[in-house]
Amino acid sequence: MKKLFRNSAAVVCVLVILLKPSLNSRASAAETAKNDALTSGMQRELQRAQSDLGKLDPAPYFISYSVYDQTSAMALGSQGSLISSVHTRRRSANVIVRVGTPALDNTHEENRSSALSSGSLPLNDDSDAIAHVLWQLTYGEYRKASQAYLNVKTKTQVHAQEEDTSPDFSRETPQSHAGYNDDAPEPDRLVFEDLARRYSAYLRKYPYIYSSNVVLTAQRTQFHFVSSEGSHVVTTGALVRLAIEADTWADDGMELMRVETFQAESADHLPAEAEVSARMEKMASDLKALRAAPVAEPFDGPALLSGRASAVFFHEVLGHRLEGHRQRGEQEGQTFTKKINQQVLPEFLSVTDDPTLRTLNGRDLGGWYEYDDEGMPASRVEVIKDGILKNFLLSRMPIKNFANSNGHGRSQAGLMVTGRQGNLIVSSSRTTKDSELRQKLIDEIKKQGKPYGLYFEDIQGGFTLTQRAMPQAFQVLPVLVWRVYPDGRPDELVRGVDIVGTPLAAMNRILLTGDKPEVFNGICGAESGSVPVSAVAPAMVFSEIEVQKRAHSLNRPPILAPPGFDANGGRP
Amino acid sequence: MIGKHPITIRWSDGRPCPSAMKQRLAIAIALIGLLVGGVQAKDRVMTAADDPVLQAMRTELDRSKSALKLEGMAAPYYIDYRVIDMDAYAAEAAFGALRNEVHARFRFLRVVVRVGDYKQDSFFGQGQGAMDFMPLDNDVVALRHQIWLATDNAYKAATEALTAKQAQLKQYNVDQPVDDFARAEPVVSIGPFAKLDFDTQPWSKMLQDASALYKSDPQIESFDSSLNFAAVNRYFVTSEGTVVRSGQTVYDLRIAGTTQAADGMKLDRSHGYSVTNTKELPSEGTLLADTTKLLATLKQLRDAPIADEEYRGPVLFSAHAASSVFSDLVGDNVLGLKPDLGQPARTKGAYTASYKTRVLPDFLSIVDDPTLVSVNGRSLMGKYDVDDEGVRAMPVPVIENGKLVNYLMGREPIRDFPTSNGHGRARLPQNYPGPSLGNFVVHASETSSPEELKKKLIDLCRQHELPYGYYVETLGPQRTPRLLYKVWAKDGHQELVRGAMFDDLDARALRSDLVAAGNDVNVENLPLNIPHSIVNPSILVDELEVKRANANKDKLPEYPAPAVAAR
Repeated sequence: MKKLFRNSAAVVCVLVILLKPSLNSRASAAETAKNDALTSGMQRELQRAQSDLGKLDPAPYFISYSVYDQTSAMALGSQGSLISSVHTRRRSANVIVRVGTPALDNTHEENRSSALSSGSLPLNDDSDAIAHVLWQLTYGEYRKASQAYLNVKTKTQVHAQEEDTSPDFSRETPQSHAGYNDDAPEPDRLVFEDLARRYSAYLRKYPYIYSSNVVLTAQRTQFHFVSSEGSHVVTTGALVRLAIEADTWADDGMELMRVETFQAESADHLPAEAEVSARMEKMASDLKALRAAPVAEPFDGPALLSGRASAVFFHEVLGHRLEGHRQRGEQEGQTFTKKINQQVLPEFLSVTDDPTLRTLNGRDLGGWYEYDDEGMPASRVEVIKDGILKNFLLSRMPIKNFANSNGHGRSQAGLMVTGRQGNLIVSSSRTTKDSELRQKLIDEIKKQGKPYGLYFEDIQGGFTLTQRAMPQAFQVLPVLVWRVYPDGRPDELVRGVDIVGTPLAAMNRILLTGDKPEVFNGICGAESGSVPVSAVAPAMVFSEIEVQKRAHSLNRPPILAPPGFDANGGRP
Repeated sequence: MIGKHPITIRWSDGRPCPSAMKQRLAIAIALIGLLVGGVQAKDRVMTAADDPVLQAMRTELDRSKSALKLEGMAAPYYIDYRVIDMDAYAAEAAFGALRNEVHARFRFLRVVVRVGDYKQDSFFGQGQGAMDFMPLDNDVVALRHQIWLATDNAYKAATEALTAKQAQLKQYNVDQPVDDFARAEPVVSIGPFAKLDFDTQPWSKMLQDASALYKSDPQIESFDSSLNFAAVNRYFVTSEGTVVRSGQTVYDLRIAGTTQAADGMKLDRSHGYSVTNTKELPSEGTLLADTTKLLATLKQLRDAPIADEEYRGPVLFSAHAASSVFSDLVGDNVLGLKPDLGQPARTKGAYTASYKTRVLPDFLSIVDDPTLVSVNGRSLMGKYDVDDEGVRAMPVPVIENGKLVNYLMGREPIRDFPTSNGHGRARLPQNYPGPSLGNFVVHASETSSPEELKKKLIDLCRQHELPYGYYVETLGPQRTPRLLYKVWAKDGHQELVRGAMFDDLDARALRSDLVAAGNDVNVENLPLNIPHSIVNPSILVDELEVKRANANKDKLPEYPAPAVAAR
C-alpha cells in the first residue's frame, strides 16, 4: 500500500512557535443578513457545475467551493528598526470535486489531493470574473478527480482488501451559518510597524544577544463555504501574533535561543508593553545564564515539566496520534487505532479537544473556531476519559466504528483537510499545589536514588514521527532546563538537551500533576498545512524522562564587538 | 510562493536549522515576484557623506579591514558590501477584476569576504558570500548590526571554503591556471536615487479595463493583465576603495490570454511593454487597442490551419522574433563564464571553442554597449555607468564581421581574458555578480528593406521549388512560433498557421544559413533578473526545418464558460 499522503515525510508535526502568518483562523459573532455577492456568485457557479458535470460519466457526487478572503499584515523589526512590512489581501479558492460514491471515491488512499484544486479569486465582487475563475478551476479539478477515480477503481480490484473498509466520505447534515462579523479587526499596518520598532529596540542593549527580531503578524479571514449538499457557511475571524526571538551562541558554538510569543484575537488583547518588556528582560537574563550554563549529559530519571512544557508534550506525543486519518493510513504507526475503550493514560488524566472554547483564564485560545474547513460545526470531543481512549479527532473521512465528522477537519487554504487538533486540553484528578511540585520531584529523586532530576521550565516546540517506516518517536525541544538536586543545593541551569521517547512508554510515567492549567498557543504544521492550535495542561511530575544531547554548530562567537559596543577598535 | 509542501521540517537534526531570519528572507525574496504593502520611502539625503546606508557600510568596512581576523588564520584580502534597496509595486487583473496587488519595500545585504589572494581565493561554495535583510529605517547602528553579523559569517565561511577549494583542486592537473579574481581600479560614483513615479489608481483601472476585453470572445479561456514596477537603488563598497550608489527604475506591463482551437490545441498569446520611465508606457488607448488586437489574433489562430507536418526551406524572422534568437543563441554564449573547477575549457556555452572564429555571417557585428542611453527614442534597459562589481561600463565589440573577438567579462577571469570589461552584474541578492548582457546591439553592414526581404524569401522558395516559405512575426518561450505565416510563392499572400516548431534553429544555423538582414531595428527591453536590452534587425535564414509540434490537444472544457453580464 502506498502512503496515505504522497507528500508526507516522516515528521508529521512541528509545533512552531516562531512566526509564520497563520493561515486559517476565523470567528463569528453577530449574524447579520447581508448581501454577499461572493457567496451568491459561488452558489450560482456551483449549481451550473453540478448540473453540467452531472451529465457526464463519471459524474461528481459532491462539489464544494471554499473561499478564504484574507487580509494579512506582517511587520518585522530588529535593533529598533523596521526590517520589512507587508500588507496583503488575497482571496484563495478551494474547489473540491468528488467522483464515484461516498463508499469509494477519487480521494481513496494516496489520491486524497486529487479532490482539490485551488487558485486566486478577484478581490472585488465582480461576479463575471469570479464565475470565470471558478469555472476554470472546476473543469480542471473535474479532470483530475475523474482520472484519479479510474485509478482508484483499478487499484482496489488489484490489491488485497484494506484493513479498514470505511467509506471515503461521511454523510452529514447540510449546514447553514451566516457568521459575518464586521467587527473582526482589519490588521493595522502602522500600529504593527510602530510595535516592531519599539519592542525590538529593547534587545539592543545586550551585546551578547547577537541577533534578535520582533515579528507581528495579523490576519483577518472571512471563510465562505458552499457545497452541492446545500451547505452555506460563512465565518469571520482574526488572529494576531507577536513573536520575539533572541539568539546568542555559547563559547562552544551552541546556538541558544529564547522565544516568546503572544497570541490573541486582536492587537488590544495582546499584553501591555510593560508585560512584554519584562518578558524581554527575562529572555535576556535567561540567555546570559544559558551562555554560562554547563552542557547537560544524557539522562533518564525523574522530571518535572511546567504546564507549557506538558502542553507541548501532549500535543506532540498524544494529540497527533489521535488524528482520524492516522488510524486508516496503511503506512501509519496506528499507535491508538485499536485501543478504543482501553487504558492509554494513567486513570487520573482526561483529554478533550474543544475548539468551541474561545478563552481560558482570560487568554484567547488559538485553536478556537466555530466551523471547520469542511463546513462542519466545531464540537468538544472527549478523546480520553479517566485514562481510557474514547474517540478520535475526525474530519469527514470516516474510520472504523466512527462514521461521522466531529468538526475537526482543518487545513490551510489550498490543501486537503485532515483531522487536526484545535484546543487540546489535559485535565487531572490527581493534583498537587503547584508550589509543592518541586518537593514531589525531590521525593521521587530520592526514592529512585538518583543524583538529580530535571525541571523543564520552557520549551520551544517539538515534533513527532507517526509512520511505520520510522520509529514511533517524539522529540520535544526544551529551552530552559534545570537540574534539581535532592540534597538542598540550589537548582542548576543546564543547556543542550532534548526530550526523546516513545509515546506509550512516556505517557505512563506521569505520577501526578499541578493544579493550574497553562496555555501554549502555537502554529501547528502537518499534511494539511499550518493551523493555529492551543494545548492546555497542568505541570506534571514524571517518574522517568529521557533526554539526549542536542546537535549544535561549532560557530565561534563573532570576532568583532557589536556596533555600538566597539569603543576599543572593534575587538570585544 | 511559500511551497505547498504540507510539512514544515524545522529541525532536521535537533537544532533550529533554517534560522527564522533565513526563512523570512526566502519568503521576502519570493515576494519580489508579486511584490507590495510596504513602507513609503522617506525622502533621503542625497550626498554620499550624509547617506546613512553608505555611512554604515563604510564604518563596518573600515572596522572589518582593520580587525577581522581569526587567530592562526589569514585575514581577508578583499571585502565587499552590496545593499539592494527595492521598492516595488505589482498588480494583476484577470477577467476584468483585480486579483492581486502588492506594494513592498525591502533592503537586502550581501557581503563577500575573500581570503587568499587574487590568484587563488575562497570564492567557492559557502565562501561566495552571506546574505541578510537590512533595516528600512536609516538608523546607522541598526544598519551596521546586520553588516557586522553577515561579515562575521562570510569571513568564517570563506576561511573554510578556501581549504575546501584547495583540497578539491588537488584532484586535477590544471595546465593553464587562471586567476580567481581580477584586479580593478577603485571607482567612486554616487548617482541619484531612483524613485517610483506613478499613481496606483489609474494603472489598476487600466489593468482591469484591458483584461475585461475578454468579454468580446466567449471562447477565451483565460485572460489577464499584470504590471511590475520597481525602483532599485544599489549601494556597493569594497575594501579596494570603490564606493558606488546607483538607481534604476523598471516598468513592466503585460497582457496574456489563452484559448483552444476546435481540435483542442491550446493557443496562447502575450504582449508586454518594458520601459525605464512612465512616459514610455502605453496610454490607455494604446493598451486597449493592443489588447483588442491580441484577442483578434487568438481568434485568428483558433481558426487557422495546422502547419504542415514537415518543411525545410527559408524562414524570415521579423526583427521582434529575431530578438530572442540573438539573445538565446548568441547572447548566452558570449558570456565569459569560468568553467567549473578543474575543467580545461575556456568558458561555458556553445562558443567555448569559438574565440577568433566565425560564428555569424560576415555582414553582422555585435557590440554590447551599456553606455548607450536610447535607440530610436526608446530608452534602453541595459544602461548603467558602473557594473555590480565596481567596474566602469564600456562598449565591448563582441562579434566583428561575423568573428567572435571578445567575451563579456566580470571580475572572474577566463583564459586570455584576465580583466573585467564592466559586465559583471547581479540584481537580486541571492545571485553573485557574473558576466551579463547590457545593451546587446546587432548591426548589419548589408541590409535590405522588409519588402526586399520578403521578395528574397519568395525567390528562395522558387529556387528550391517550394510552394511557400515561412514568416515568423513573434516567438514565444523556447523560440516556439506564436504568429507564423505561410508566404505563398505564387502570389506572395500570407496565411496564418498554428502548431509549428523549429527543429534545428541553433548556433550552427546562424553561422551557416543566415543569409540577409533587414534595415529595420527592434528594441527589446528585458527586465527579468538582470535588466538588459537587445537591439537587432530582421533576418532571413535560407534553410530551417519547421515541423508540426507535438502539441497536446487537450479536451475542450467540459462545460461552457459562464455567460457574461450584458455590457
